[in-house]
Amino acid sequence: MSEKADVWQGTLALMILKTLEALGPLHGYGIARRIEQTSGDELSVNYGTLYPSLLKLEQEGYISSEWGLSDNKRKAKFYSLTRTGRTQLEQEARQWEQTTAIIARFFAPAGDSK
Amino acid sequence: MKTLRAFFLRLMALFNRRRWEQDLADELESNLQFAIDDRVRSGMSPETARRDALLHYGLPDSIRESYRDRKSLPFIETAVGDIRYATRMLRQSRGFAVAAILSLALGIGANTAIFSLLNALILKSLPVERPDELVQVNMPGRSSIFTNPIWEALRDRQDVFSGVFAIGSSRFDLSRGGESRFVDGDWVSGAFFSTLGVKPVLGRTLAVSDDRRGCPALAVISYDFWQREFGGRSDVLEQPLSLDGHPFQILGVLSPGFYGIEVGRAPGVYTPLCAEVIVTGTGSSLDRRSHWWLRVFGRPRAGVLLQAAVARLQVVAPGIFRDTQPPNWRPEDLKEYVSRSFELQPASHGTSRFRDEYRTALYIMMAMVAVVLLIACANVANLLLARAANRAREMATRLALGSSRSRLVRQLLTECLLLSLAGSLLGALLAWSGAHAIMPLIAVDGRSPFLDLAIDARMLLFTMGVAVASTMLFGLAPAWRSSAVAPHTALKAGGRGMVQGHSRFTLGKSLVVAQIGLSLVLLVAAGLLLRSFNKLTTLNPGFDRDGIVLARVDLRGARQAPENRPALYRELLDRVRSVPGVTSASSSDITPVGDSMWNDEIRVDGFQPKSAKDSVVLFNQISDRYFETLGTPLLDGRDFNEHDTVQSPKVAIVNETFAARFFPGTRAIGRTYRVTGGPVPDPATEIIGIVKDTKYRNLREQPEPIAYVALSQESKLGPFFHLEVRSAVAPGQSVAALKAALAQLDPALSVTFVTLSAQLDSSLNRERILAVLSTFFGGLALLLATIGLYGVMAYSVERRRGEIGIRMALGAGKTKVLRMVLQEAAVLLVIGVLAGMAIAAATTRFVSTFLYGVDASDTATFTASAALLAAVTLIAGYLPARRAASQDPMSALREE
Repeated sequence: MSEKADVWQGTLALMILKTLEALGPLHGYGIARRIEQTSGDELSVNYGTLYPSLLKLEQEGYISSEWGLSDNKRKAKFYSLTRTGRTQLEQEARQWEQTTAIIARFFAPAGDSK
Repeated sequence: MKTLRAFFLRLMALFNRRRWEQDLADELESNLQFAIDDRVRSGMSPETARRDALLHYGLPDSIRESYRDRKSLPFIETAVGDIRYATRMLRQSRGFAVAAILSLALGIGANTAIFSLLNALILKSLPVERPDELVQVNMPGRSSIFTNPIWEALRDRQDVFSGVFAIGSSRFDLSRGGESRFVDGDWVSGAFFSTLGVKPVLGRTLAVSDDRRGCPALAVISYDFWQREFGGRSDVLEQPLSLDGHPFQILGVLSPGFYGIEVGRAPGVYTPLCAEVIVTGTGSSLDRRSHWWLRVFGRPRAGVLLQAAVARLQVVAPGIFRDTQPPNWRPEDLKEYVSRSFELQPASHGTSRFRDEYRTALYIMMAMVAVVLLIACANVANLLLARAANRAREMATRLALGSSRSRLVRQLLTECLLLSLAGSLLGALLAWSGAHAIMPLIAVDGRSPFLDLAIDARMLLFTMGVAVASTMLFGLAPAWRSSAVAPHTALKAGGRGMVQGHSRFTLGKSLVVAQIGLSLVLLVAAGLLLRSFNKLTTLNPGFDRDGIVLARVDLRGARQAPENRPALYRELLDRVRSVPGVTSASSSDITPVGDSMWNDEIRVDGFQPKSAKDSVVLFNQISDRYFETLGTPLLDGRDFNEHDTVQSPKVAIVNETFAARFFPGTRAIGRTYRVTGGPVPDPATEIIGIVKDTKYRNLREQPEPIAYVALSQESKLGPFFHLEVRSAVAPGQSVAALKAALAQLDPALSVTFVTLSAQLDSSLNRERILAVLSTFFGGLALLLATIGLYGVMAYSVERRRGEIGIRMALGAGKTKVLRMVLQEAAVLLVIGVLAGMAIAAATTRFVSTFLYGVDASDTATFTASAALLAAVTLIAGYLPARRAASQDPMSALREE
């Protein structure tokens, strides 16, 4: 079970970083909603997994957090991407694309050359 | 890098927990609000929205759990929690904690004390630069002591060392007449300090250029000597220093922490070899080819392997020995001399007479304290087991509430670790004072060692290791047992309903049996060593032990020509004999058991030696009335008198063993022998008297042949001799009177006094220290085992209260109950004693080198130790038994 959770943590971190890059600074609820929406509601995000992931990213210096005001003047804690976070995202995204391309080759029908 | 950052942040988060917990709560609340808003907007009612949001995203409590695991370091948090809980639990059972900590302190303290001595004497490397590179030069199959000519040849012809030096130990008299005041000193060659990398704090150290023939009188002093003798004054380099009456200039002061290369000795003064002639004058050893006094050490060049260095030295060896042949040796001895060679041995630990003498004794003591620690751990384990029975409910409740067994074990082990920690700290204090108390007892030649007992990494590691190991030993089994409680016992109404109690009790019983057995081993060892020591201190050495004062006289300060010495000897003796209170006095070259020896090979007509050793005889040079003063009976013939002069025929007095060996069956008086040590045999010496055998070198020796020659027949006498004085008054008074008398004659004489009994006592230091310490440890072990037995018996009685109550109610008398309980104790005792006897029988041979007059399997000692143990432990068992027998049966039954 823990192995699956680790993989999930890894991809969750990627999703968080991508979300912050795409939408800019966002609070915890916003990140969760966005991930749910982007996955077509396939994934349901529990704070029990989201928050440790956010913590790890913050401790590693990829994101930073700050209390601020939301659109409707509500106090919320906003997370944003740091510069190292941005570089890390690019690196991870590239690696992810490479991995999927290789795997895809295995599952391509025989005779296909790419 | 990022993991380091993360770790650091997590560490910090341990400290501001309240703040981030609040922060998280706020954040979760605000997120919840957003979620609720969205749901309300899509049509849910506020309450449904709230519940739905919580369900979807998770409850704050469970979120907080997983958040905390990532936010800070859960391992440390639980550990801190464990420690807090453990402290609270221990504070509640104060009596138990005190008993446990004390037991551990004694065990750990004793181990640390002995280990610190072991460390300082045997394990530590020299406090010099790169000590593991140092090697010592010696002659294979022979000693490692060289003459100065050999050293100089070796120094000049070797090419394997980057630094090489020679060192000779000595002792200098700092006083200029009157009572001597000595300081240990070393003669060192020029490269001594540079090879070892020792630096000065004031002035400079010796350089190779300072060690040339004809050099001035220079000295380098140690830091401690500077503090002790000169009060640490800053102008010490201008202060005068007198060594054996000769002025020396202080060149520099060494940095603290350097104590020379002989462990146990801490020389205060280092002087260059070339200055030896200044102190010894015509008796200088610098050119003497048969005076052996120097050790040689070196640091091989970088990259030179040990075997290669040895090979190189063996190439130059023949030439060196050929060019340094001593004159006046017999041809066969010379042949052996030129065949000698060199070899190298690692010398990172320097040399040490204390080490050689006390190594085995220290190992034995280490084994003893290890046994004491085992017994102490058994005690604590038993205490824990007893306590665990009371905590069964607590354990069961925690298990029922969901705690894992390993968590409980960890919790209990934390308690044990706290006990060990407290025990170690207290033990360390005990160890410090103990080691310092033992150190003066470790004496060689009547001098105690100087040992650097400062705590180093090895000591700390040892103490920690012992503490942790003891914790595991005494804590693991009880902790495991404690947590093996079925959760439903928490629900039981009965206060003591413990099915597991029985099996736990058997563990406790086996521990007590082990304690008894181990205590017996120590008691037997102590008994054997005590009896040996007693025999040594009460044996008849062939002379009187009490009432005799010895004086060592140094004539060099008197600056008399050597030809005048015989007259001076006589004059001093006459003066001493006229001191009031003196009943008899004599002078001699060597005093009994004085750690000095003179032997020679002799030839007797008609005697065929079975081996070379057969013809070797011990010698002493004495005045008249020597035997009268010492109380050695003259069995036949006469003592020396005024007719035995330099011109008259040579005479000697011999002991019984001499007579029996060389003249068996006949009267030795009138027969002759010749000394054969030199190229030409001495003139025949006639035997004029026979005395009883006496001890010569040490109190343990078997009788050896001794020949006594007359001082009055010798014209060439050295500057040192001894006086034996038998006096009717107390030693203190007679010493004062003698001092005065000798000073009156010539205040420039240096004299040292010691009583004969003190000299004999100091030769037994090793035996004394073993006897004292083994008795102490044996007593400690007995005490701990007794406490252990008492505890187990008390617990057993407590457990059987109901049973005993019923028996008493049914008519069993007090004595019957007593017998019933004591039977239990007796069984444990018997098994323990039998086991102990077996172990003792197998292990006492390790102390056999220190025994005297007792066998390692001495039945009397074994029996007496067992009897002592039985008596003490039965008393320990009797007390709770008596309490059980005197209880009111009704109250016991009511408790059920």
